[in-house]
Amino acid sequence: MNIQDVIREQVTSHPVVLYMKGTPQFPQCGFSATAAQILKACGVNDFYAVNVLENPEIREGIKQFANWPTIPQLYINGQFVGGADIMRELYQSGELQKLLAAGH
Amino acid sequence: MVTPEQIEAWIKAGLPCDYIKVEGDGHHFEATIVSAEFRGKMRVAQHQLVYRALGDKMKAEIHALSMRTLTPEEWHG
Repeated sequence: MNIQDVIREQVTSHPVVLYMKGTPQFPQCGFSATAAQILKACGVNDFYAVNVLENPEIREGIKQFANWPTIPQLYINGQFVGGADIMRELYQSGELQKLLAAGH
Repeated sequence: MVTPEQIEAWIKAGLPCDYIKVEGDGHHFEATIVSAEFRGKMRVAQHQLVYRALGDKMKAEIHALSMRTLTPEEWHG
């Protein structure tokens, strides 16, 4: 399986997937910390977190997968939702909660 | 070190902007970008237009860029 297939498998076999630097308990980047906090604020504690710092292939591959050059990246039901800025906007408008409720 | 002015120039070179303001300390930057190109696009697609304008600069020179993208209507709204 190439790395794009690995990523596709990850995002389709878990309802909520967050690619981040570090872990939800110990994030290693401010944007990743924000992203994990937003999911928890939405009541989602059991999301599937992928620490890209542990896997350089995924760290590079995920940027191509969504044509998105930065991390974190949130996927709901296999769909790319956005990075930290978009997550914050969607959270503030209440849209993220709806997406999560529908997908979770 | 990258300056906010450089980032503004890079984005403007690849994306017609009605208004752009980038602030930052050389490591972390915040951009407000208003462009007619954003009309009718989801946030993800709007940010992708900005990333496309920046191209490889995102990989090499810019560590952290936070952005707010607005259509002219949202900006004047």
